[in-house]
Amino acid sequence: MTRLDFAPGSSIAYHTGDWRVQQPVYRDKWPPCSRACPCGEDIQAWLALANDHEWEAAWRKLTERNPLPAVLGRICFHPCEGACNRRALDTAVNVHALERELGDRALRNGWRHERLTARFTNRKVAVIGAGPAGLSFAFQMARHGVPVTLFEATDRPGGTLASGIPAYRLPRDVLEREIDAILDLGITLQTGVRIGTDRDVDCLRESFDAIFLAIGAQRPRRHPDGGAEGAGILTGLDFLHQVNTGSPPAVPSRVAVIGGGNTAMDAARCARRLGADVTVICAQGPHGSQPGHPDAEITALPEEVRQAEAEGIRIRYRLGVRRVVHGGGQPAGVEIARVDRLHDLEGRFHPRLFAGTEEFLPAGMVIFAIGQEVDWRGLDTLKTLSPPEVMVGGDAASGPRFAATAIGSGFQAASTLLARWVEGVTTHAERESREIPAQALNLAYYRPEPRQEPPASFASPNDFREIVPGLDAAAVEKEAVRCLSCGVCFHCGNCWNFCPDAAILRREDRFTVDTDYCKGCGICARECPCGHIDMESLLT
Amino acid sequence: MDTRDPFRENVLAAGHRACAGCGEAMAARMVTDLIGSEAIYVAATGCLQVFTTHNAQSAWQVPWIHSVFANAAAVAAGIEAALRARGDNTPVVVQAGDGGTFDIGLQCLSGMIERGHDVLFVCYDNEGYMNTGVQRSGSTPHAVRTTTSPPGRLRAGKRHLKKDVLAIVGAHHLPYAATATVAFFSDLQDKVKKALSIRGPRFLQVLAPCPLGWDHAAERTVEVARLAVETGLFPLVELEYGTPTSVMHLARQRPVEDYLELQGRFRHLFASDRGREEIRHLQALADTHVAHYGLLDPDRPGATEASVAARRHAWGGYARPRREPSS
Repeated sequence: MTRLDFAPGSSIAYHTGDWRVQQPVYRDKWPPCSRACPCGEDIQAWLALANDHEWEAAWRKLTERNPLPAVLGRICFHPCEGACNRRALDTAVNVHALERELGDRALRNGWRHERLTARFTNRKVAVIGAGPAGLSFAFQMARHGVPVTLFEATDRPGGTLASGIPAYRLPRDVLEREIDAILDLGITLQTGVRIGTDRDVDCLRESFDAIFLAIGAQRPRRHPDGGAEGAGILTGLDFLHQVNTGSPPAVPSRVAVIGGGNTAMDAARCARRLGADVTVICAQGPHGSQPGHPDAEITALPEEVRQAEAEGIRIRYRLGVRRVVHGGGQPAGVEIARVDRLHDLEGRFHPRLFAGTEEFLPAGMVIFAIGQEVDWRGLDTLKTLSPPEVMVGGDAASGPRFAATAIGSGFQAASTLLARWVEGVTTHAERESREIPAQALNLAYYRPEPRQEPPASFASPNDFREIVPGLDAAAVEKEAVRCLSCGVCFHCGNCWNFCPDAAILRREDRFTVDTDYCKGCGICARECPCGHIDMESLLT
Repeated sequence: MDTRDPFRENVLAAGHRACAGCGEAMAARMVTDLIGSEAIYVAATGCLQVFTTHNAQSAWQVPWIHSVFANAAAVAAGIEAALRARGDNTPVVVQAGDGGTFDIGLQCLSGMIERGHDVLFVCYDNEGYMNTGVQRSGSTPHAVRTTTSPPGRLRAGKRHLKKDVLAIVGAHHLPYAATATVAFFSDLQDKVKKALSIRGPRFLQVLAPCPLGWDHAAERTVEVARLAVETGLFPLVELEYGTPTSVMHLARQRPVEDYLELQGRFRHLFASDRGREEIRHLQALADTHVAHYGLLDPDRPGATEASVAARRHAWGGYARPRREPSS
């Protein structure tokens, strides 16, 4: 039928779609929370399931990437919340509290991880180090039916999570039960075996098809002052290890903690709980003091610093230690001075102090928490080989980072291997990564709702009980609803309601565009709350 | 027949000739799909009648009649009287533009209400005679540029004020009269349902932005309508027997500039001192509406936000499957 040849009848015969110069396309995006997540969790997806009260499905979606939600929900630095688009409306979604809630729900209800395949492959992998990276790798391999043997040098799994994180932040039983759930997938755990010392590296290469090295960064960095060793002088990791294994050292009335990272903060707060008066000496400035230069600010998380100060810990900034002052076989204190420059000419962290600004800080115990390095002893032959036979992950690969980074690296290593070994598994890199900034949302369709926070309680001396409670059931539901679902359709129906041309059609599970009639006005895309609809130009 | 969508009747079918982004087509699709196909629709002359009945191709999948510009309400009154004589309760709906309501159709509308006919009269208000080339109407707001109220040396757009047709209709003490707009769909939905549940003459004024006549981007139709409400220029209210019984409370009152600057028909106001004076005048008119209807009630905040909040798995507003015509 030509344009001018009409028979009486319905306008449906006239296709207005040829007026169009642009057309709407429904397209899922990858929201900023997930882009920021070191584990690569699909946060929007599991929040959506939680929103629908599909708690177990939400937990399963979450644990596809992170098998330790109850742990990470407590200790993660949650960059997801720093990236959350909801900040443009009111405040970020409390992702970490909801992650923790799902993890705790799984522990309460005894949900178990499911194997994705019943069949075991004939390939075997060894994991060296049962910290977060090693556990994450082992979890992914075991789910896909690859037999895993996990070697751990200490007497229990968990790595820094077990030895470095105090119980008031991460109760022991939470960690143990989440690790048990991972091991339940059929992972063989051998504790007390230090590869390279107790067992030869090369025999591992004969018995396994691949080795994942996740030995962490466990060797504490030393202070250049030669006198910084001896009784009463500890590293942060050693001190935390003693506290966390139930044999804390006796602390004197005054303790000095040197360093500005999270280990320093943990050590200071443990010493405080053991009854000491604690001063932290931090080479960097406080949070917010050096805009644009995050390197020059204290690296411990703001909320850790806030809680430490609320517990009565003094933090002194832009000061460095020149030497430990001894008296009678014990430290008497430290000589501190003002920091001139933080980094040397090569850009390495190496504070230089101003001469003439020295002062004496009395302390009967000095705890150095000034960084950690990877301990490669006995493993040097593995270092030189290339993947896939040997892969390195976690802090051993990246230097000291976060538990979430370690879990993410375990996932990436596992998916690289699985993509070669198991049919139907793709590598982690193949995710579409179109951005969805806050400007792409239509915030008119969301109501401001206050962020749900648990009431924080601060510790009394010698109390190692958990200080931050979870959200109650009502708060959990209120918080889950706050997710904006950036870039992912949640079937509100705005496009369908608003289309002036009946060009959006509803189907059982989605909406579609009828290009026979769409005039390309762009209202659907503009009124889509979550930026799921793109307008694409048809002009060349 | 338009049977493409199993979840929506599409009383107003696809293939109509409205401009891209037409607020009136949007409004008419909303209202008629909420009323449904079991009704008789009467049209006044206007954009909606023209663009839905082009070249003998009707977009109406329902009984539909158009007579002349002035008499839609009288035609509806006659149909209603005939149906009543036969004991038939089929709803009768008039659809008119602002020309067919405020100006040319006002006398027949007044008579229909005064005689108490059981008719729902829906006015799609796009504030001008748009399909004939954007002439001013009694509904065109103050200071608007149209082809018959051009801004120039003597005037900054339309000299007169927008006619308060709701007050005129309300003065007839009819059972129900309300204002609504495309931007607040759930509010519109409630008002159509309420109107359908009441017998007697009922009146609904639906603000429907016109990208052509208002000179705004086609994609901004809903946004412009939302701002008309949020600035206080177009209050959403319900009258029962002439008395206001409910209003849409504003979460906050936006300055009128937010609304004006999106539209070319107000652009001249930003270009001269005289124009800026008129902006202050329009702000004063908005403030008067806010005060008159009590739109900023601290005890009942945020109704506008609550009304538009998108709900998960809401799947839109028309969960009414198409009924196949019985043979």
